[in-house]
Amino acid sequence: MTNRSYLLPETLEEVTKLLDEYGPEILVMAGGTLAMPLINEGVSTPEIVLGLKRAKLNYLRKSNGIFVVGATTSLTQMTEQSDIPVLREAANAVGGWAIRNMGTIGGNLFAPPPGGDFAVALLALDAELKFVGKNGARVMPLDEFYTGFLTNRMVPGEILSEVILPIPKGSSAFIKYGRRHTNTPSIVAVAINIVFDGDMVEEARVALNAVGPHPFRAKRVEAYLQGKALKEEVALEAAELATTEIEPFTDPIASEWYRRKMVPVIVKRALERLIA
Amino acid sequence: MQAKIINLTLNGKNIDVMVSPMTTLQVLLRENLGYTATKIGCRQGSCGSCTVLINGEPMMSCLLPVEDVAGQDVVTLEGLMVDGELHAIQETFFETFAIQCGYCTPGMIMVSKALLDKNPYPSREEVINALAGNYCRCTGYEPIIQAVIESAKRMNSVGN
Repeated sequence: MTNRSYLLPETLEEVTKLLDEYGPEILVMAGGTLAMPLINEGVSTPEIVLGLKRAKLNYLRKSNGIFVVGATTSLTQMTEQSDIPVLREAANAVGGWAIRNMGTIGGNLFAPPPGGDFAVALLALDAELKFVGKNGARVMPLDEFYTGFLTNRMVPGEILSEVILPIPKGSSAFIKYGRRHTNTPSIVAVAINIVFDGDMVEEARVALNAVGPHPFRAKRVEAYLQGKALKEEVALEAAELATTEIEPFTDPIASEWYRRKMVPVIVKRALERLIA
Repeated sequence: MQAKIINLTLNGKNIDVMVSPMTTLQVLLRENLGYTATKIGCRQGSCGSCTVLINGEPMMSCLLPVEDVAGQDVVTLEGLMVDGELHAIQETFFETFAIQCGYCTPGMIMVSKALLDKNPYPSREEVINALAGNYCRCTGYEPIIQAVIESAKRMNSVGN
C-alpha cells in the first residue's frame, strides 16, 4: 500500500500554490478517466495526487465575442450546454455515457492517440489554451501546444485552466471513424471548419487525430483548399494530400496500413458534408 | 497519509465512512460495506460493470476516489428495490431473459435507470447510445435493449 495523499483544492489559486509547493512529482487529476486506470493497475504510483474536482473550473461562458470553457468542464456538459455543433458532436463521440460524465475537456487534451479526439474540434476552431501558474497566466494556441507523443509545452508549476474559442465562423464537419459506432477508440478522427466567401474557401482548418503522435492540423490540405471552390474533385485531391501529413501507427484498433487507407476516405467524406 | 472520514448519501441513507486516500468507491462499496452488486470488471472504466449513479448520473465507481463523492448522492443496484420489491427495470430484465451470466447486469440496470429517469420515452437509438459504455459478452445486447424498451413501457403505464 503506497503512502498516498489526495489533495482537493477549492480555488485555482490554491491549485497553483500546491503545484509550486510540491513540484513536478505531484500528479494532477481532473475526471480520473486517464489517471485512475494507471493507478488501479499499479503502473502509476503517485504519492501526491492533486484533484481538480472542487477547483470550480467547470463552466462554459460566452463574452465579448469569445467562448471560455473551464478545463474541468465534463464532456457531458459540453454535449448538453455548448451551442457549437462541432464541439457537441466531438464531445459526444468520446467514450460511453459514464466516461463523458467524468472525463473533462481539459483532461482529454492530455490523452494520447488514439484517444484525445476532442482536440480536433478545438483545432478546427482555432482554440487557445490558458495556463495559470504561480507567476500568472499565459495563453497559447492549441496548435502550438503539442510537441510529440505525450509531450507538450505546458511547464511544471502550470495548470491548464481554460480553453478559449473565438465565436466560430463558417461551417464545420466532424467524423470519428472507429470499429464501432460509439464508445470506440479512433481509427481516424477529423474535424474541418471552412469559412466560405461565396463558393470560395476563404479559410480552411483541417484537424486529424489517431494518425500521428498527437492531434494536429493538416496544413498542406488547408493551404490547398484556400481560394478554391469546394467541389468533388477538390475534395478528392485535398483528401489525398492529407496522406502526406500523417504518421499513422499500428495498435489493437487498426494497422498503420489501414489507417493510411482510411484517412483520405474520411477526410473526403467530411469535406463532402460542406459542399453546398 | 491517514484515513479520512467522508460523509455521503448511499441508497438514501446518510453515512460516514472512513477510507484511506484515493480508495475507489468500488472498493468502498464491495470490501468495506458489502454492497457487492457493483462488480469489478476491468478497473479501467472500459467495461461498465461497476457503474453507479452519482446525483443521478452514471459514473464508473472504479475510477472514483471516495473523496470525490463526499456530500453527494450515491445509488447502487441495492438501492433500487423498494419495500423488498424489485424495481420495474430489474423485474423486466429478469422476466425477459436479458440476463445470462449476470455480471454486466448491475451496470446495465443502473445506466437504464439513469436513462429512464431523464427520458421516459427513449428511442431504440437512445437506448443503444446510453448502454454503449457497458459491455455484455453473453447476450449480444438485443435482449438488453428490448428489456429497457419494455421497462419504459411498463413504467409509463404505471404512472397513467
